[in-house]
Amino acid sequence: MEAVTITLNGVEVSGYAGTTILDLARESGVYIPTLCYDPNLASTGACRLCLVEDERSGALHASCVTPIAPGMTVNTNSPRVVEHRKKILELMLASHPDICLVCDKGNRCQLRKLAAEMGIGLVTLQRIPQNDVIEEVNPFIERDLSKCIMCGKCIRVDQELVVEGAIDYMDRGTMAKPATLNDMPLEKSECTFCGACVAICPTGALMEKDRIYTGTATNVVTTVCPYCGCGCTICLGIKDGKIIEARPAVDSPVNRGALCVRGNYGYDFINSPQRLRQPLIKVDGELQEATWEEALARVADGFGRIKNENKADALAVFGSSKCTNEENYLLQRFARGVLGTNNIDNGSRLYSAASRTGLGASIGYAGTTGSLDALERSKVIMVIGANPEISAPVVAYAIKRAVRFKGAELIVIDPRDTPLTQFASLWLRPGVGTDVALLNGLARVIIDEKRLDVEFVTRMTDNYAGWAKSLQNYTPGHVEKVTGISKKNLQAAARLLAGAEEASIVYGNGITQHVTGTGAVAAIANLAMLTGNTGRRGGIFALQRENNAHGACDMGALPGFLAGYQSVDDAQNRQRFEERWGCSLPAEAGLSALEMMEAAREGKVKGMLIMGENPVASFPQPALVKKALSSLDFLVVTDMFPTETVKFASVVLPAASFAEKEGTFTNFEGRVQRLHQALEPVGDSLPDVEVLFRLAEIMGSPMPYASHQEVMEEIEEMVPFYRHVAYADTDSMGMDWGDVESNSLGTRRLHKGLFPSGFGRFSPVEYTPPVDVSTDGYPFTLMVGSSRYHFGAGSRSSRSFRLSRFSPTAFLEINGVDAADLGIGDSDTVKVTSAQGELSTTAKVSKTLPQGLLFMPISFPDSPVYELFNTVLDPQAKAPALKSCAVRLERTAGDG
Amino acid sequence: MAKQKKAPRVNLKQIEKIITGYRGQKWPLIPMVEEIQEKVGYIPPESIPVIAGALGLFPSQVQAVITFYEQLYTEPRGKNIVRVCRGTACHVRGGKTILKLVKRHLGVDEGETTDDMEYTLETVACIGVCALAPNIMINKDAYGNMNPKKVARLFERSGKE
Ligand code: SF4
Ligand code: SF4
Ligand code: SF4
Ligand code: FES
Ligand code: FES
Repeated sequence: MEAVTITLNGVEVSGYAGTTILDLARESGVYIPTLCYDPNLASTGACRLCLVEDERSGALHASCVTPIAPGMTVNTNSPRVVEHRKKILELMLASHPDICLVCDKGNRCQLRKLAAEMGIGLVTLQRIPQNDVIEEVNPFIERDLSKCIMCGKCIRVDQELVVEGAIDYMDRGTMAKPATLNDMPLEKSECTFCGACVAICPTGALMEKDRIYTGTATNVVTTVCPYCGCGCTICLGIKDGKIIEARPAVDSPVNRGALCVRGNYGYDFINSPQRLRQPLIKVDGELQEATWEEALARVADGFGRIKNENKADALAVFGSSKCTNEENYLLQRFARGVLGTNNIDNGSRLYSAASRTGLGASIGYAGTTGSLDALERSKVIMVIGANPEISAPVVAYAIKRAVRFKGAELIVIDPRDTPLTQFASLWLRPGVGTDVALLNGLARVIIDEKRLDVEFVTRMTDNYAGWAKSLQNYTPGHVEKVTGISKKNLQAAARLLAGAEEASIVYGNGITQHVTGTGAVAAIANLAMLTGNTGRRGGIFALQRENNAHGACDMGALPGFLAGYQSVDDAQNRQRFEERWGCSLPAEAGLSALEMMEAAREGKVKGMLIMGENPVASFPQPALVKKALSSLDFLVVTDMFPTETVKFASVVLPAASFAEKEGTFTNFEGRVQRLHQALEPVGDSLPDVEVLFRLAEIMGSPMPYASHQEVMEEIEEMVPFYRHVAYADTDSMGMDWGDVESNSLGTRRLHKGLFPSGFGRFSPVEYTPPVDVSTDGYPFTLMVGSSRYHFGAGSRSSRSFRLSRFSPTAFLEINGVDAADLGIGDSDTVKVTSAQGELSTTAKVSKTLPQGLLFMPISFPDSPVYELFNTVLDPQAKAPALKSCAVRLERTAGDG
Repeated sequence: MAKQKKAPRVNLKQIEKIITGYRGQKWPLIPMVEEIQEKVGYIPPESIPVIAGALGLFPSQVQAVITFYEQLYTEPRGKNIVRVCRGTACHVRGGKTILKLVKRHLGVDEGETTDDMEYTLETVACIGVCALAPNIMINKDAYGNMNPKKVARLFERSGKE
């Protein structure tokens, strides 16, 4: 590109043609005040505050929208510029209430800051009366449009960045204001309370509501959201040792100035009065407070005794997809090196094991193949079995941006109407559990119509012929019979996908949590390979539910693998770790999560350590889990809260929250990001790393790390694809994505279309009729999933003051016709019964569900939906089917 | 005269048909809403999501455009638009009383439409014939030197037509 040289405040500088004056000035370290400009949004030049003068022509330009031109002589601070700027600001202040001193925006208010900078005090212009605070009941956002300066940033961020479309201008002239459709309160609009508009509003017009602590932050700590697998970077504003607000990091490559309601408002669980502050020991059936010394001695004694009296395999360890990489790494070292067992697994077994197994076998790498950028660049995006708007909001933002602003076409495959369907050019609604047939059908059409990427398939893959033969039965006619998708739509989808220069496939728990999950994932990989979309172009995007599901597995919190997916039954692998740790390691693969519970029920496993998981709420058949846990001789749980699982513990160790510790999380893209400690742990609680250090020491096998840094260094050394990650850099934004592509991290991904093993492998997958859908006596198929305002098993979100207040109870969604047939009205109490169990909840008539399908959120500890589920395991992934089950329904009481 | 219900049922079918006519066109929003207004009399708020869906816009964006233009309405309007002037000249010569009288005659407030959909009452700032103040406009005609009698006659007369 051509370089253009201009004179900027007397100095010659050059930039690429097309660069704006503002961008070049910022690059050159010259300050120009702005109000309506934002690096993540298209510039509109609305406020004119960024005026500069071209001294040759005397013209005034809004620098944020004016590209540099050869020979420009820009003065950013000429007397004319200053005079104009002042006038603009005075006009804005004229219609602004004089209440800066009591406004909570405080020193984050750009308007006030600029006024101070320019020495504008009392405004002499006549005041223009303005609108007032809008009455709203939501606990998240407060709008006082009397402070609005009509910069339009909230509207642009809502439409361009998070693409929700909740607000736009309304009316004209002096009546104009940002408003929702029909000027309703936010809670009655499309607003998802992502908070992006609040973060970007330069004045106090949009403010965070119901803060527990008020005031102005004196310190900002940049860290990573603890909820979903997107791994947004959040900035926590701290004052007097308390978090007073959370804001999105503007420069994060993941979330770019946006978060979702959980990240923005849900962090307040750390202030919950229910936090565990002291270790607890069970004495005569009661948990009583104890010191760390007493508690740890008890743990060492308990595990030691069981190990001596039985074999080490009578012990089991359950790690957490919510804990850091370092915690999980040390936990597997503790399990293998100190306790001497491979009985270790982590919570992600329940929702992403199918991904690991299915993708591992096909493309040789157990995760997402590309970055969010690659997703947004795609020309066609297919979303199957995922509702990213809820489960991975930042992914949904990227998809919607691709559709709205980059001309991508979207195919949504989902029986439910999700927020993405309105963006889709094609929406297919297959029967629940028929995805494999559909995916095979798509592949068959692509092959029959010769639309496959022949070069890629020949050069980069294996077993094509064998697999193609296995598709013989999947004619469009047959597929239509099985899935309900017409031949026409099947072909249309296949043509779109195969015809795109770059296509991406996004899938989530709707795929992985069915019994046939592993097969369906392999079928997705087949389709991606067939069309040559495996990372060099497009890619496979496996959403992960929890913040560190990826990391927990990478770190070896798995029964069959040491850190870095190094198989435990390979002596060479073991030897590396044995040498590093100076101990011998067990050779036989251990028990997976559900197998551990079964072994506990059978009395084979007698002692268990659970770090940060709540299996009583997250596993199918809580009754069986409870039975397993109460059969144990000795159970140790580390957690932040007295969860349903904690009640069964012999010793409870209070854990620090994400804001109270250091470490790294790995997001769904495989990006390793660093946490920064913002607060001291509450009470006597400790980060799990510290707990493991102390425990290993008391048990006579100290782990010789002097600091967190050393743990990370060892991870870098022992896990090849974690080389060059977070601790090497000093800045807080995680590693540079450029490094990932150029350094050895590239070997774990499929960048430039390279498979780790050189070849991708097509694997035939047969469709088997689903067992987790309606049957005789149970005429409905119940699907379960996350809800926007809650998360996972709900142990944190139900303790978030604002999230739980906004959405306090569980509900059952039902199609209107089904509801009418059963005489069920909105808010009636209903009883849901499956072959396994029953529960009571409130009905909510919904427009998004087809007949025969019900939906219930999983994250409400008081309505444990998993009571209804069986423990049918996906044979390959050893994960239970937790997406759907067959139920019947009856109304038990009216809306009382 | 048969009393009609104030908010007539919206004929979404008719609106959908109008929308279909614009399929494939570039920037059809303004002509589309103008045609809807012309045929339906106004742009029913219920139709906004439908319009938005057809154009790949957000309902809030469609609303923004409609509320930006003075000539586009989201409420039903009467056959006749009555505008009472509240400019300075009319004001000092009793415009306020005239407005009160018109309100009483029509039985509606400013911005409202009579139940029989005959009249919509609005106020304007100076219609430019201050010499004849106080003034009223009905559709395109101005009526000057208004007084209570004239007001009564005006609405009786047009009411009978
Ligand atoms: S909170 Fe998010 S969704 Fe709601 S109006 Fe603001 S930007 Fe839009
Ligand atoms: S509410 Fe804030 S961001 Fe939105 S237009 Fe007003 S000042 Fe700008
Ligand atoms: S829950 Fe996920 S999308 Fe929401 S802020 Fe946290 S990481 Fe981002
Ligand atoms: S910042 Fe450039 S016009 Fe507002
Ligand atoms: S003030 Fe009424 S016409 Fe001028």
